[in-house]
Amino acid sequence: MDRVLVVEGISYAYGDTVAVDDVSFDLGPGEVLGVLGPNGAGKSTTIKMLTGQLEPRSGRISVLGLDLQRHRDAIQARIGVCFEEKNVYPTLSGRENLAFFARLFGLRDIDLDGLLARVGLQERGRDRVSNYSKGMRQRLMIARTLLNEPDVLFLDEPTDGLDPVSARTIRRLVRDEAERGAAVLLTTHDMYEADELSDRVAFIDRGRVLAMDTPEALKLVHGTRSVRVRLRGGSGVEEHVVELDGEAAAERLRDLVHGGDVLTIHTEEATLEDVFVEFAGRGLT
Amino acid sequence: MTSRAGVVRAFLAKDLRIHARDRFYVVVTIVGLVFYIGVFWLLPDSVDETLHLGVHVQDAPAEALTDLVGDAEGFEVTSFGSADDLEDAVDAGDPVVAGLDLPAGFLQAIAAGDDVTVRVLLRADAPEELRPALSGMVRELAFVLVGEQPPVTAPDLETAVLGVDRAGEQLSLRDQLRPVFVVLALFVEMFALASLVAGEIQQRTITAVLTTPARISDVLAAKTVIGMLLAFSQAAIIVVATGAATRGPMLLAVALLLGAILVTGVGLIAGSLGKDFVEVVFWSFLIGLPVMIPAFGALFPGSAPGWIQVLPGHGLVEVMVRTTAYGEGFTEAFPYLGMLAAWCGLVFVLGVVLLRRRVVRL
Repeated sequence: MDRVLVVEGISYAYGDTVAVDDVSFDLGPGEVLGVLGPNGAGKSTTIKMLTGQLEPRSGRISVLGLDLQRHRDAIQARIGVCFEEKNVYPTLSGRENLAFFARLFGLRDIDLDGLLARVGLQERGRDRVSNYSKGMRQRLMIARTLLNEPDVLFLDEPTDGLDPVSARTIRRLVRDEAERGAAVLLTTHDMYEADELSDRVAFIDRGRVLAMDTPEALKLVHGTRSVRVRLRGGSGVEEHVVELDGEAAAERLRDLVHGGDVLTIHTEEATLEDVFVEFAGRGLT
Repeated sequence: MTSRAGVVRAFLAKDLRIHARDRFYVVVTIVGLVFYIGVFWLLPDSVDETLHLGVHVQDAPAEALTDLVGDAEGFEVTSFGSADDLEDAVDAGDPVVAGLDLPAGFLQAIAAGDDVTVRVLLRADAPEELRPALSGMVRELAFVLVGEQPPVTAPDLETAVLGVDRAGEQLSLRDQLRPVFVVLALFVEMFALASLVAGEIQQRTITAVLTTPARISDVLAAKTVIGMLLAFSQAAIIVVATGAATRGPMLLAVALLLGAILVTGVGLIAGSLGKDFVEVVFWSFLIGLPVMIPAFGALFPGSAPGWIQVLPGHGLVEVMVRTTAYGEGFTEAFPYLGMLAAWCGLVFVLGVVLLRRRVVRL
């Protein structure tokens, strides 16, 4: 199957407030799509519609070749969803949480210890979740998401507010799952995470997709590249920024390098946030 | 592929585990059961309607008088050697609750038709109707002692009791309190269910569940079964442990099952409306009150007032009292069961609608 997720013109409104407005995109197997946008942009509402929690007011969603509205049961058995909020049962152990959800999927004889080990919780699996840190709860939620070896993963802000170790573990798992062949839709407002993990990035703001492409293409086409040169001159340290936008730039760089005592040279390229600002007219936070 | 029954079973196992780990409910449930059953067996199992009367005659042996009074139905007479002893006994309420202190020369004065005053002693908390009863008794006694009939001929009385005559069948304190204990146990389990439901919503675990093959109807079914299981088992334990299970067990089982459904519905409503622990407590008490009031109403003598008879818990209490105390069967219980079933349907449907709405809006 070429496209495992096809979204065509979906919209949703909370009362009079439009949260998602005519959003379309698709996703192939093993592909990671990062949906980047500030809080309230419509990322979570989009995920809710894609996972069957909300019904779109208009548009169509197809997952694994099946229409979501007509085949919700079959689709939900083959997807994995990780939520922004830490919605695990605190009075159950990590292992019991996973065992319960495994039963909801109709899974038996599943290697829960192996799954806990994948997220680094093998030593704490029998502890109650109420004793887990925020990062441990998030890793448990990721383990829950992977229970049924899903074909499509929906990850809503999976590393939000986590310590670097937990965030790194989760990013590694996302890459592993993509290599396994799972399609991953990842929402985040962390531009570095989106840049690092995503094959393609979609900018979303005020419910609309503003742009969608590979991170490199977005940065190259919409951002600016430059070289910052610091050199020692007659009046002290001088700093020069050369925009890399033509042959004149090469000439100017050559002049600077040959013309003084160069202290540092740094290449600078646009970040995804810079590109986002260009599209949305505001930042990601 | 996941079966619906498998999903519900998974939920039941999970909810029972969470419930069993909640120390508050475990302690309240166990302490409550021990307390209810213990208190029940400490209470008297019959109603003592005998009036314990003390008599003191100042200058004559009291035996003749006590024999005379003691012949009257419902009286047990004890004679005292002095007026002070009689007063002390009445004041203490042991062994008498009222006394007649007859003055010196009482018999002679009565026989001669002279004026004489008899002191009637009553405890402060003696029933108000006891005072005229004792006054009449003294007057009648005077006529008997002098061998004359009262100045009027007493008319023949024909008593007609409308409805079931419960004379001599007054409920013992045990029978009165059994429905209270059952309803209190149901209430605790209703609160436990409300907490389970509210917890699922507050922790947003319900949204995680609904992105798996589990449906909201599975969640509702599981919560209903767990609520009924907890409530029915607690109520049944109390009924069995208080020795009532042998009297109309099938009828009692049906009534308790309906009662369990009723409190399950209330639990679903309270759990859906409460946004935190305090709100769950508030809604549980507010909505649970109409279930509890009829049980406490049964503690008072006489038929329940009209406003209590329309409350959701009235049917359950009536069936319990009529079955366990008077041995009535399905025929007599039918109207009460019908009313209870109607309330169950209404409350349960409302609970399901509210919970579904709350979950959809998460």
